[in-house]
Amino acid sequence: MLVGALLPWASTVLPGGAYPDRATLQFFDAPHLVSGFRLHLVLLGVLAALLSRARKPAGIGVAVIALVHMGFLIGLGAPSIGGPVALAGGLLLMWPGLTAPAPELKPPGPAVARLVLLVAFAALVWLVSETLTAGGQSRATNPYGGAEFLAFCGLVLALACALSAYGVLAWLAALTDRHRFFAFSVMLVCALALPFTDAGTGYWMTVASTIGVYAATAIGLNIVVGLAGLLDLGYVAFLGIGAFTAANLAHVVPFPVAALAGTATAGILGIVVGAPTLRVRGDYLAIVTLAFGEIFFRAAQNNIGGLTGGANSIPGIPPISMFGHAFDKPLGVLPAGSLYYAVTVVMVAVAMVMLVNLRHSRTGRAWAAIREDEDVARAMGVRTGRAKILAFLVGSMMAGLAGAVFAHKLGTVGYESFDFSESVTLLAAVVLGGMGTVPGAVVGASLLFVLPEKLREFSDYRLMLFGLALILIMRFRPRGLVSS
Amino acid sequence: MAVLAQQIVNGLVLGALIGLIALGYTMVYGIIQLINFAHGEVFMVGAFGAHFLARYVLPEDVRWYVALPAMCLAAVAVSIGVAVAMERLAYRPLIGAHRLAPLITALGVSILLQEVVRVFYPGATAPLAFPRMFVEGHLAIGPVTILWTGVLALAVAPLLAAALHIYVERSRLGRAMRATAQDPDTARLMGISPNRVTLATFVIGAGLAGVGAVLYGIHYTQIDTAIGFQNGIFAFTAAVLGGIGSIRGAMLGAFCIGLVKSLAGQYVWGGVQYDYVWVFVLLILVLMFRPQGFLGRPEGMRA
Repeated sequence: MLVGALLPWASTVLPGGAYPDRATLQFFDAPHLVSGFRLHLVLLGVLAALLSRARKPAGIGVAVIALVHMGFLIGLGAPSIGGPVALAGGLLLMWPGLTAPAPELKPPGPAVARLVLLVAFAALVWLVSETLTAGGQSRATNPYGGAEFLAFCGLVLALACALSAYGVLAWLAALTDRHRFFAFSVMLVCALALPFTDAGTGYWMTVASTIGVYAATAIGLNIVVGLAGLLDLGYVAFLGIGAFTAANLAHVVPFPVAALAGTATAGILGIVVGAPTLRVRGDYLAIVTLAFGEIFFRAAQNNIGGLTGGANSIPGIPPISMFGHAFDKPLGVLPAGSLYYAVTVVMVAVAMVMLVNLRHSRTGRAWAAIREDEDVARAMGVRTGRAKILAFLVGSMMAGLAGAVFAHKLGTVGYESFDFSESVTLLAAVVLGGMGTVPGAVVGASLLFVLPEKLREFSDYRLMLFGLALILIMRFRPRGLVSS
Repeated sequence: MAVLAQQIVNGLVLGALIGLIALGYTMVYGIIQLINFAHGEVFMVGAFGAHFLARYVLPEDVRWYVALPAMCLAAVAVSIGVAVAMERLAYRPLIGAHRLAPLITALGVSILLQEVVRVFYPGATAPLAFPRMFVEGHLAIGPVTILWTGVLALAVAPLLAAALHIYVERSRLGRAMRATAQDPDTARLMGISPNRVTLATFVIGAGLAGVGAVLYGIHYTQIDTAIGFQNGIFAFTAAVLGGIGSIRGAMLGAFCIGLVKSLAGQYVWGGVQYDYVWVFVLLILVLMFRPQGFLGRPEGMRA
């Protein structure tokens, strides 16, 4: 079996070293590309040769990279020679894959555990930074950025699968769970350290903070949908309420007040939207929230009360300014936008803490009961009405806060940012990441908002793929991609 | 007065068209308690199917009385094809799944269909002109005018609804449908295949939506990928308003929705820019205070 696995590796990597020679060199002639996906292929080959359990994951990675490159070459109208060879190698690697269950690793002592967590999260940040910057930021300088990015994703996928095959991921999750507070602080510090990595440019900070805003919003939606089981199809309206409130107040009051006002307004509207939940359930509730979302969108589009700017949107919102420092300027060695990034990281962190604590609280258990069976929950003495309103209140306030940051960060707010497709995207993020899970919403939001940024070529297919993803996940992994 | 009468007529025509979609909603919900969110898209793909036939297949100088039935057939075929695929691939595997799964799937199907048509149908990124395949001109009754296409819609929609009603009341399959709607388990014991009944329901609903799509196209002379979502919501509102599960109720609700939209656009604060909003306000109020609708029986607890 080992030999069987080695042969395809050899046939992949050895010609893989010269893989772009004929078919690709004239297209992928940028020097850094030589170390790009070819390096990934070689790495995966070595991985497959040395570690028996990692063979199948490596095969997946090789196949993904091969497919990506074949797709792009065919898109460019060029024949791909290395692609099919690599693909065949990848498939052969997957063929005799071991299916033995992952070994259980024993948890080490606290000191070692902390060290491991520190290393793991540092590696994670490095990985995030590499993923963000993979493929470069501009299509002008690197037209193959999308391919490179996808190829890198294939490598990351393979590594994750390999780690999972050795039980390392489960082990880390157990460690995180055991040292929750420590893990959380380390993660926060590591996340805040992102500006010091390769991704520390103004552009990537902007991208990262946009993801942060949507991640915080998705966590809010996760509270409503994942914890309480109330499907909200107009959720993006709360982001809009927060953004428009903050935008209108931006010139009058300092940011904290505006953010508070945005949060409060969204919360009040959350109660208004949540009120029907007392009478309506299930599918009907989803339709009611959809109707509220559409009413908000129409009102914003028509510049209701002169508050939303209508088609002109609201321009010229000043950046957040605290301690005499505008947040859109660089600070010391930090690039512009780092401060916004820090704000969103803190926001996401607060949201995560809230989600975890709520889930394990009395309210969270009430939500879980309502989600599973409302009648039984009521019979068991859960005050269902109050709990449901509370879910909407918390979720909408989270979105309102995110909206306030969103408004200041962008400097302009228009109704187009809050249409139904955004609600669908947020829902897709939650569903993709796993309803009710903590990292789920963040992973989902990162995926759904990074991919369009990275793959401009596919912007036309974005929503189509989301629709397909919703169907497939409901069919095959209704608990999401992240949750085990 | 003339304006009022005219708006009432406009509202009734819109109502007739919405009614044909609402029938599909109400039947599917009646049988399997699924809000088939994507039913509006079935209507939309039907419109594009008819457009395709008229634009790319039929000769330029074809007469309307040849073209219109052909377009109806094309629309019905496309709609039924999509609806059957949807039922088999997306909904049927979900029997017994997580409670939110069918609705999220329906949403996914809706988005997917919209985007597939928008991206792959030539020219569908912008509104398309629908061929005018009916008698030109209008019928004038005093100061009120109705386009002949509107007259056609007003004639065809109630006729089809009545035919459906009779079919469900009298035919063997209709009886099987009513039995399944009342109690699927007992119906199964009586030798009825719920899968077959469900599929038949999807097919009938899609056929009506296909006809509705052609009538919609020749009346408003323009289609785009958003017509399914928008009219689907209207039709859903109509189905709930009339009492979901009831065929007569769906038509009644549809006429109400048509009237609300056209009259609110004329007379209520905000004008046409907000007519859409009033339909949603009505939807929320109905769902909150009379979820069983006009003709539906009040139900106990429904998940």
